[in-house]
Amino acid sequence: MSKPKIGIFGLTSCAGDQLAILNCEDELLDIVGAVDIKSFIMAQSELKAVQDQMEDSRFDLALVEGAVVTDEDEKMLKKIRDNTKLLIAIGTCAAWGGIPASRNDLEREELYQIVYGRREDLFGCHKPRPLRDFVQVDFSLLGCPIEKEEILRAFSSLLHEDVPVLPTFPVCFECKLNENLCIFKEKDDLCHGSVTLAGCGARCPSHGVPCRGCRGPVDEANIPSVYHLMKEKGYPVADVERALRTFTYNAEIPQ
Amino acid sequence: MGHSELTGELIPRHLNVRVIAKDNLETFLGGLREFGEVFGPVEKERGAYIYAQLTDVKNVVQDAQRTVLPPKKYLYPQKEELFRFSTQEGYRKPESVDKGRKILFGVHPCDIHGLSILDKVFAGRYHEPRYFDRRDNLIIIGMNCLPDERCFCYSMGTDWVEKGFDLFLTELEDSYFVKIGTSCGEDLVHAQAELFRPVTDEDIQLYKERVNERNKMFVNRVELANLPQILELEYESEVWEELGRKCLSCGACSAVCPTCYCYEVYDVLDLNVETGSRIRRWDACLFKDFAKVAGGHNFREERSTRVKHRFYHKQVTFVEEFGRPSCVGCGRCVTQCPAGINLIDVFKEIRGEKVVHKSAR
Ligand code: SF4
Ligand code: SF4
Ligand code: SF4
Ligand code: SF4
Repeated sequence: MSKPKIGIFGLTSCAGDQLAILNCEDELLDIVGAVDIKSFIMAQSELKAVQDQMEDSRFDLALVEGAVVTDEDEKMLKKIRDNTKLLIAIGTCAAWGGIPASRNDLEREELYQIVYGRREDLFGCHKPRPLRDFVQVDFSLLGCPIEKEEILRAFSSLLHEDVPVLPTFPVCFECKLNENLCIFKEKDDLCHGSVTLAGCGARCPSHGVPCRGCRGPVDEANIPSVYHLMKEKGYPVADVERALRTFTYNAEIPQ
Repeated sequence: MGHSELTGELIPRHLNVRVIAKDNLETFLGGLREFGEVFGPVEKERGAYIYAQLTDVKNVVQDAQRTVLPPKKYLYPQKEELFRFSTQEGYRKPESVDKGRKILFGVHPCDIHGLSILDKVFAGRYHEPRYFDRRDNLIIIGMNCLPDERCFCYSMGTDWVEKGFDLFLTELEDSYFVKIGTSCGEDLVHAQAELFRPVTDEDIQLYKERVNERNKMFVNRVELANLPQILELEYESEVWEELGRKCLSCGACSAVCPTCYCYEVYDVLDLNVETGSRIRRWDACLFKDFAKVAGGHNFREERSTRVKHRFYHKQVTFVEEFGRPSCVGCGRCVTQCPAGINLIDVFKEIRGEKVVHKSAR
């Protein structure tokens, strides 16, 4: 069996997810042994335009980081999709818009004004949107950034022509496995663990910091109940909603 | 004064009770390391107690409230590798698991009952050898705790233990009344006999007072008589829908429950796709995927049916199978549910006016 051809790409993002892959230091050699990485700009010393690399290969698997913000992003994403059998969104930006989309409630001009003091469009930006608004996404690895454990599991499962079995339940469960005090319950912290997808090992509450929902909403997130509970704790709905949308502006948030 | 009491040794006294001064307890715990690793409740952060290894016995909290996770984590860990497999060799049955002896100090009566319930489950139709490998090496030193407003063990009949411990301590004034439950417990005492003294009439008097005082402290009374029947009558109650709207499907209640035992099994392959591990981790019936089967059918798609399931399994179907509810009234789920769902209130509501009205009509 020939090794599957893989491409790792980044759209508009902080490159944290690509870095997370590079940070699999102990396993990098195993990864390279198992798959044929055809394109990974971040890890290449010799820079060749991504476009050219795509001309050369068709990919079995493309991992795409980042939100779609510019016309170039969109063009590149569609090109990647045309050249790959499977497309995986890596990171919450790719899956939900992430931090770049967190102020999608404001018009771009307004944001330019706030950030640069001029209302004009300097970069040709649109409101950041997740990959699935443009192309078919076969699978998502969540997180800001993604978890090493899940990257490895995704690779090995896909090599086995299977999809990885990853948690589908909320962060709270992992929080209890770690035996943390519930800071939402006991300290009235604005913790979003109950509506956020687990897989990070409840990293933040395990350090006494509320979960900000960086892994995106869990399927069946019970937002109305959370709103109700937060209201009881004295938080204005607007604050709760802002917090909920920090990483996932594009998620549907029922009232 | 103490000396004259020591003459109590001459009077025939129950041999299975002793007294240890509080000042001697840490020494005793330190000495137990001869028998195995010693674990007990420590304060992880303010107000959160957990069982942890007592590398320093000074960290033990003798009067700790309920721990976040119950002792089940030592018998049935949150996540573990069951075996390794390879395309070349198939799979090998693993050597039995960490058989090292563990001594668990400070186990409350409800948790001792919790363990005996897990014993029944794992010894049932499908005997679980890993559990019993560990169980056979677990020494239990119980502690007669004082209830808070979330405990309802009294109602569940789990506020008291007659067995299931090697030693069981009840606080007197500046000492503990020690009941010896097994010959192993006797060995533990014998090994450091100098730390214990025989009981005196005064101790017994004090002990009885303590037990009576404790009995009066249980403020939560949940009427359990015919609860299974009432639950069955209330199967369609609006209460379940209401709980379904509130519940966050987070599974915290199952994770912390001393008698919840459901697990998920899956394989993790290595990158060579030749070898891998079979993993087992705790699962919870509150999760949306829990009752999802091949073809995508889900037996409990609606959240309300999942919350309801947890109640009915604990209080109805478990009773049918094992003769008692699997809830031991430890109050952990009440403490941890981020949505504030309180089992005691639910039972009260289910038993409430509505039920009386119906039967009155
Ligand atoms: S602290 Fe946050 S993540 Fe942990 S149980 Fe509470 S709400 Fe859930
Ligand atoms: S606890 Fe929440 S914010 Fe922190 S890493 Fe996990 S999902 Fe992200
Ligand atoms: S159902 Fe709740 S109160 Fe009953 S044993 Fe489980 S955690 Fe304790
Ligand atoms: S802990 Fe509460 S919110 Fe979470 S699953 Fe259990 S009942 Fe529902």
